[in-house]
Amino acid sequence: MTAPSLYFVNWWADTLIIGGWSILTWIALLAFYNSADTQPIFWLSLVLSLVVNYPHFSATVYRLYQNPENIRQFPVTAWGLPLIMVGAVGASLWQPNVVAPYFLMLFLVWSPYHYSGQTVGLTMVYARRAGFSIGRRERMGLSAFVFSAFVCGVIRFQQTGSSGGFIDFYGMSVPVVPLPDWMNAAAHAVMWTGALVFAGFAVVWCLRQKRLIPPIVLLPALTHFVWFVPGAGLKSFWIVIPFFHSLQYLLVALAMQLKIRIDVAGGEHSWRRIGVEARRWGSRNILGGVLLFIGLPAAFSWLPLPLLTTAGILAAAVNIHHFFVDGVIWKLRDAATSSALMMNIAELAGPAVVDRARPKPVEV
Amino acid sequence: MREAAAGVVLAVFAGSAPAADVAVGASDPISVTPREMFLAAGIGVMAMCGLTSFFLAGRVTERTHVALAMLVVLIGGFCLFTLFGLVGREIPVTGALVLLGLIGLFKLMNQFEIGRNRTPRTKKGSDK
Repeated sequence: MTAPSLYFVNWWADTLIIGGWSILTWIALLAFYNSADTQPIFWLSLVLSLVVNYPHFSATVYRLYQNPENIRQFPVTAWGLPLIMVGAVGASLWQPNVVAPYFLMLFLVWSPYHYSGQTVGLTMVYARRAGFSIGRRERMGLSAFVFSAFVCGVIRFQQTGSSGGFIDFYGMSVPVVPLPDWMNAAAHAVMWTGALVFAGFAVVWCLRQKRLIPPIVLLPALTHFVWFVPGAGLKSFWIVIPFFHSLQYLLVALAMQLKIRIDVAGGEHSWRRIGVEARRWGSRNILGGVLLFIGLPAAFSWLPLPLLTTAGILAAAVNIHHFFVDGVIWKLRDAATSSALMMNIAELAGPAVVDRARPKPVEV
Repeated sequence: MREAAAGVVLAVFAGSAPAADVAVGASDPISVTPREMFLAAGIGVMAMCGLTSFFLAGRVTERTHVALAMLVVLIGGFCLFTLFGLVGREIPVTGALVLLGLIGLFKLMNQFEIGRNRTPRTKKGSDK
């Protein structure tokens, strides 16, 4: 059996999508657009949302509901959770001044936490591909770094993005979580300790293996650091962070979708088929995203509330649903998921594919 | 006396306005504040989750029961958040506890409806 490829696509594509583009964007904004006027960036990100952010939510929904077996396997996630979300949306619309602010607060804290989870997950995937074993201690160091960076980011976002203790979200005033002054220093201390511990394990690995750790393994954590620590002070950069998070997600989700659709008995293995499947999946998710974030609020436009308020509450609900579904469908312990996350897309263009979780040639 | 005690507790933890709500609500059970109505709805949904788990006993997997229990934790956690989410404005250190509580909640929800490799503990001398 050959060693797994280090990349989903190749060095360039993976490096740019996983973090290269976002770090370059941060540097460019810092150098050329350190302006308080974020309107041009906002409109640009809104356009990009149609093809990246919104489809990333739709891709999760599509992955869960496309297969009846998934629905049978996760009934509470597939049926119970949407009902709870409908209840939460109903309560927020019913009491927009009492419930909605807390629902939106929950979403605004959960969202960067979710990004942190993705960072840890991506690091685990690339580490496994590189042969860098992440055990309990390594994971603890990595998590301490990533989740403390998230806390640093929340504190900084709240400091620079709020006015009088409130953040403007879809035209609504959402209160910030009040935090003591010492928390920033404590989060920084834990973050740097975690970074040192994880770096120590990486150095030991390099010495034992007599080679350098592939940079792609460290890129998700470095990108996360840029987003939440230095990037958190740049307002124009915050607006585009969800775009880059979604871009990372779509790369992995596309690889998984191609594996599910093409790597089956009788499946045609060719670049043509990869292109067809990618276009089909992409167009369905763009449509799904538009329905979730534009169609759904439009359907509730008859409510006696500003459309922006309805849209904001619904967006928060779609996000929170996504956080749950993501946790269910992307478990590395699951053999099928693990197998798809170890492959290179080019493998699906070849005549035969080896399933790495169950190393038997797949029937073609 | 009980009303006064409840009022004092809420005044400490959630400001004087909700404390006044309690005092009014307790004397007139019909007039409830919007927040109380929401909390009542939350308690109702939590009870429904418990009942669902009860009636599904033996018909669904343990994982489904655990997921229903986690929904109860989520709803309960959110109800507490609506009550105490802004306490940090009065007592800064509790703001840190609120954030840590939220992180704990998110961490727990990350385990939602996934199989866990946990073997049940058996008593000494019990059958294998």
